Amino acid sequence: MIIGSLLLILSARLGKKDIVGRWKTNPSDKGNVTMVNFKADNHFDGFVNKKPFVTGTYQYEYPELYFIDNGCEGKTGRYKVIFFSNDDSIRMEPIADSCKERMEGMKRMVLGRVTK
Amino acid sequence: MKKIFSLLVIVIALLVSFTRREEDPVSRESLGEKLFLDPILSGDHTVSCASCHKPGFAFADTSEASAGVHGRTGLRNTPSIMNLRFSKTFFWDGRAGSLEEQALGPIANPREMNLPVDRAVARLKSNKKYRKLFQTVFHEDPTKQNLGQAIASFERTLETSDSPFDDWKVMENEQAVSEEVKKGYEIFNSKGKCSQCHFGGDFTNSDFRNVGLFNGRNLNDSGRMVITGEAETLGKFKTAGLRNIALTAPYMHNGMFRTLSEVIEFYNEPDKIVPDSKNRDSLLSKPLGLSPEEKKDLEMFLLSLTDKKFKK
Repeated sequence: MIIGSLLLILSARLGKKDIVGRWKTNPSDKGNVTMVNFKADNHFDGFVNKKPFVTGTYQYEYPELYFIDNGCEGKTGRYKVIFFSNDDSIRMEPIADSCKERMEGMKRMVLGRVTK
Repeated sequence: MKKIFSLLVIVIALLVSFTRREEDPVSRESLGEKLFLDPILSGDHTVSCASCHKPGFAFADTSEASAGVHGRTGLRNTPSIMNLRFSKTFFWDGRAGSLEEQALGPIANPREMNLPVDRAVARLKSNKKYRKLFQTVFHEDPTKQNLGQAIASFERTLETSDSPFDDWKVMENEQAVSEEVKKGYEIFNSKGKCSQCHFGGDFTNSDFRNVGLFNGRNLNDSGRMVITGEAETLGKFKTAGLRNIALTAPYMHNGMFRTLSEVIEFYNEPDKIVPDSKNRDSLLSKPLGLSPEEKKDLEMFLLSLTDKKFKK
């Protein structure tokens, strides 16, 4: 009974580490807000100030995110997704990304969950 | 009689109030707009910024090169000044490093407005109305600096993000665009290689590229090299943003293509149009091999980038 409850709680917590849904940053110093929509069909769209900015496909298996987008000449990025604040916020730690400009942007990005 | 007199007073008061509202910009942006539309900034009082950056055409022009004062024409196609908020360089060759600097360029250019900036400032200073407006907005008389600031502030308001494409992507409204548009966007990001340069919220990474429109003969605008002096920048021009592109024909730095389908034909096989280009970007070293249907889809995608305000 106790073990069953623990497993239930554990699976619920693991379930929370899903990235599907909309996430956004706080406004930057210049007032820019970045939003990312990870769709259930493994496509994602990124927006800056509500303008579509980037699009691509991703694979996610906690904690690793692997994606390819329409910039960076088809180079893939591999990141560790770090959840915090009751799993309502995430940041990305690079594992491998040969697109330096993208990597710099990703390292700085902290996203808060908007919708699931 | 008394009633008529009272009515007359009310009408006059209303008229004065409306006139004042129209004539008295109280922000940098509205003062900038007034200056943008006013031919006072050209040598012979005939050309305003809006003469070439036409509001109805996404603040671009419809001719290959715009007409300036005394029937003179510019040397390059007038680019749209919309959606430049995040640009770091301005003009086709990137010679200005800020919108404030850009705003003053055409005023002084002898082929465009032909009024040295110092004289433009003196002219505004001697104009009672403008002097008062600058005092209201900047708490000082017109200067070169605040003239640039006012026009740049107005230009920064010219952002658009309400196109059918935005509805599709931001609102996730699948009905906002056709299947052709969706296929076109896919081609834009893959086989067409367009997003390698036209990347980001305004579909430009603001980089400089030589797309193959320099051959040193009939196409002899050196572009970015004039600014940098570096041979590797020969024939490079700033990648234009694509929002509202349907309204800004003709295209490219020299306005040599009249339609979007001509532009797509060129990128599909540049050698067919300019076989002797020099220093062309390696991204365009091979034909893209787009089918007629793919070209059409790509064009449909580009048409979906027109903001709804232009359709009203």
